[in-house]
Formats: sequence, structure tokens, C-alpha cells
Amino acid sequence: MSVEAKLIIKDLTHYYPDEYTGESVHALENINLQVYENEFVAIVGPSGCGKTTLLNIVAGLLPYRQGIATVDGIDISGPGPDRGVVFQEHAILPWRTVSKNIGHGLELQRLPKTEISRRVHEYIDLVGLTGFEDRYPHELSGGMKQRVAVARTLCADPVIMLMDEPFAAVDAQTRITLQDELNRIVMATRKTVLFITHSVEEAAFLGDRCIVFSRRPGQIKTEIKIQIPREERVWKDMSSNPIFTDARDEILRLVRQEVTSDDEQ
Amino acid sequence: MTSNNNVVSFRHKLKKFTTDGAGRLIIFLIGSIILWAFISLFIIERPDRYLPSPMAVILSSLDMLYKGSLISFYSDTLGRLVFGGIVGILIGIPIGLALGLNRTIADMFYPLMNFFQSVSGIAIFPVVVIWFGNSDTTVMIVILYTSFFPIAFNVLSGVRSVPVRYIQAARTLGASRLQIIRDVLLPGAMPSIAVGTRLSVGFAWRAVIAGEMLAGRPGLGNMIFSGQELDNTAQILLGMVMIGVTWIVLDHYLLRPLEADTIERWGLVQR
Repeated sequence: MSVEAKLIIKDLTHYYPDEYTGESVHALENINLQVYENEFVAIVGPSGCGKTTLLNIVAGLLPYRQGIATVDGIDISGPGPDRGVVFQEHAILPWRTVSKNIGHGLELQRLPKTEISRRVHEYIDLVGLTGFEDRYPHELSGGMKQRVAVARTLCADPVIMLMDEPFAAVDAQTRITLQDELNRIVMATRKTVLFITHSVEEAAFLGDRCIVFSRRPGQIKTEIKIQIPREERVWKDMSSNPIFTDARDEILRLVRQEVTSDDEQ
Repeated sequence: MTSNNNVVSFRHKLKKFTTDGAGRLIIFLIGSIILWAFISLFIIERPDRYLPSPMAVILSSLDMLYKGSLISFYSDTLGRLVFGGIVGILIGIPIGLALGLNRTIADMFYPLMNFFQSVSGIAIFPVVVIWFGNSDTTVMIVILYTSFFPIAFNVLSGVRSVPVRYIQAARTLGASRLQIIRDVLLPGAMPSIAVGTRLSVGFAWRAVIAGEMLAGRPGLGNMIFSGQELDNTAQILLGMVMIGVTWIVLDHYLLRPLEADTIERWGLVQR
């Protein structure tokens, strides 16, 4: 029995007009990608390679013309709660408390209050924000804000969680903690994830599969499977894990190729 | 021993009072009134005409209170202010919102609004008098007109300044257009709405005073105006003090708490 992928992208090519010059920018070239249920796919590539463009297309924030993109067999034609997005930063609403932010998606779906509050508490516990329910975002650290963002996305129970460099704006120590936490959360919720990053380490640590993008126009250069069971993915054990270090070095080599060839032009 | 403690605690209280915001204000006010009284009593030659003392103003207010005119003037003015101001703000918010949301609407109406914004309430006054006579309606229309623009323009710029990220995040959570307005754009525009409300109420105050003077409707503005005609300077000062005090009370008990509960609580502004 063949399993249908949750996210299917076929022959996707994308151009967009440059904001200032108006010239057409070739962002993505012939992307083919499947993400299966309960799979964690990390896309890594040099900056400006179109990986965020791809995520915005999947999120429905950016209309596309050439190619096919479906989630659960339905064509993507706009944003929807089936594709929750965790943005890099500054995306939780300052005028909502932690619990109001996390429950926002359910509120928009007009679920009963008791049901919202039950699920909000579940996710507050999951991301370790118990005791901060009534705080406002400006009272939280950068890491805590991202926990709220992750909980908000998960609480709406999307088919796939899209993450756009979610830990790029927090300090190195917090980032490691958040990556460990994300592993635990993904394991607990069995969520399907599409994760965009420019950090090779992060991609190798989190991804079941890492997709390496070429420089613009973004093409899929290689795909690397990283067969480490999720429960074994803990940072303190990683430096001694040859599967991780090999994959990391290989991805690093591939990404470097792209960056260097860019310099030679 | 006990008395020593009392002295220490009194000094402590005094120090706390003088460093406290409200304490400082009270000290400043008392100082100003003393200075005013001093100038009036010892420096100016005919204080009753040029600068009546605080006592004279209080006496004048007691006199007018006794005759019943003060309260009726005051409530007339406040009624116009509240009604005209509220209607102006209630019209201004949705129009500012519509302009902020829709490019087409903005392109059509923005230049028109910009044009009328520069034509002050006093400048349209004569036309309104021709239409509605020297009536309460005239005064009310001028107040409404004056208070409309600050709030409308501020809501417009407030809506446009809400980060696109917030809107995108709400859309990916499944928010409809109306839900985005309610949950993202309106709260996001709150700092500007607060500024606009302040300006609108301030402008409405000016309009009500000027309007009453020009239309000759009974109220604080007219009271000030007739004070000059009757050579009753204390009455003019009384009117001024009442306008100022009302604004401070309105600001302190209505606008400030509103801001404290919203934009300050949300960390959108620092105090």
C-alpha cells in the first residue's frame, strides 16, 4: 500500500518582480518535493536561495503559477489553518497574553471556550510555559516568545507545521535548548514538519531528511537522509554520533560549494 | 523616643510626597497659585481689571454658582463637547479604517480629506451659520467637523503601520478579513487611535469655545466672551480655569486609564 504524501510539490517554478527595480527574479526552478506524514524535512541552503519563497508558497502567502502544490491532496490557493507557520520572529500578537495567543487559532475557528482553554493548557505545558499564561509578549524573552509561536501553531492542529528559520533570532544557548525541545515536542505530537534554515547543524540535527538548495534560482541539489531515531537526537550525545557528524559535514560541504561558486562569479 | 520616630516617619512621608509624581504636581500648582496671588495683590495696579487674584476668581465662581448660571453654562458646554466629540470620533474611526484598508477608497477620499483638514472649523463656521443659524446645531457641527480629522488620519496611519507579519500570522491561523480587522488591525492601531483621540478631544474643546463665542450660545465660551464685554476679568479667568481643570480630569480619569490598560500593558509604548 502506497502512502500518499502530506505535502506534494511538483515542477514548481517561480518568478517574482523585484520590489525596487521591477525586474523579474527567478527564485525557484523546477522544485519536486514530498513530505510524508510524521516526517521532519529540513531545507538548508545559502541565503537568498529561495527557500523562504518556497515556504511562503506552501503557506499560501505567495501565489504561484507554474507547477503544483497540494496539502492532503488539496491545491494550495491561500493561507489556511491546515498549514501553520512559525515565523522567524515578531509574529505573536503583542496585545494578546500567552494563552490568548496560543488559543487564537481555535478562537478563530469558533471552538467552545472550555475546549479552547483545555487545549491551550495542554500546549502551554508541552512547551514549558506553565505560569506564564497571563503574561504579555513584551514580558517574555526571545526564546519564550518562540515557544509561544510554536505552541500557537500546534494548538490549531495543522496537517503540516511550516517553520521559517524559527530559531535564527535567539542567542546560541537558547537555540540549542529550543532545538532539543522541538525534537521532544515533535516526538510527542507526531507532527509533520517542513523546516527552513541556513544552519547546517540545525538541519542535520532536526531533519529526517535534509534538502540542500542550490543558490538562486533555487533548485534541489541533493537530499540526505539522516537515520537517527528521534529519541536519540539530543545535543549532548550528538558530537559522538557518527551518523550526525557525517551528515553534517556532507551538508556543509554541499552548501559551501554553492556559496563558493557564487563568489567566483 | 516615640516623638523622634514620628519626626523620622514624617520626614520620610514628606520626602516620598515631594518625589512622587502627583506630589510634585500639587507642589507646583500651589506654588503657581501663590505666585499668581502675589502678582495680583502686590504688583499689578488694578488687579480687578488686569489680573484678579485667585480669591476673586473663587468669589466670582461662588457668585455664579449661587445664581445658578455657572452649572448651566458648564453643563451646556460639556454636553456639546461630549456629544460632538464622540460623534466625530465614532465617524472618524471607521472612515480612517476604511481608508487604511482599501487603496481605492484611500485614493479617492484622501486628497479630499486632506483639503478639508486644512480648512479649520472656524473657517467653515460662517457657512454653517448660514445653513443652520446661530444654533446649537451649528456649534455641534463645527465640533464634529473639527474632531473628525485628527482621529481619522491617525487611524489611517495606525492601520498602515501594523506589521505585515502580524497579518500574515493571523491569516495562516485561518483568520477571515473581518477577524483580521478585529484581532490584528484595530489593536495594532491602538497607539495611533489613542493619539488621535487625544487630539480630537483637544480640538473639540477649542471648537466648542470658539463656536459658543461666535454663535452666542450660552456656555463657558460665551461666559468668557461676555466677561470681556462686562469688564468682569474674574469671570474670564474662571472660565479658563474650568476648561483647563476639566481637560486634566478628563485626561486623568478617562484617557490615561484607557491607555494604561491597552497600549502600555501590551508594551507598545514606554512611559
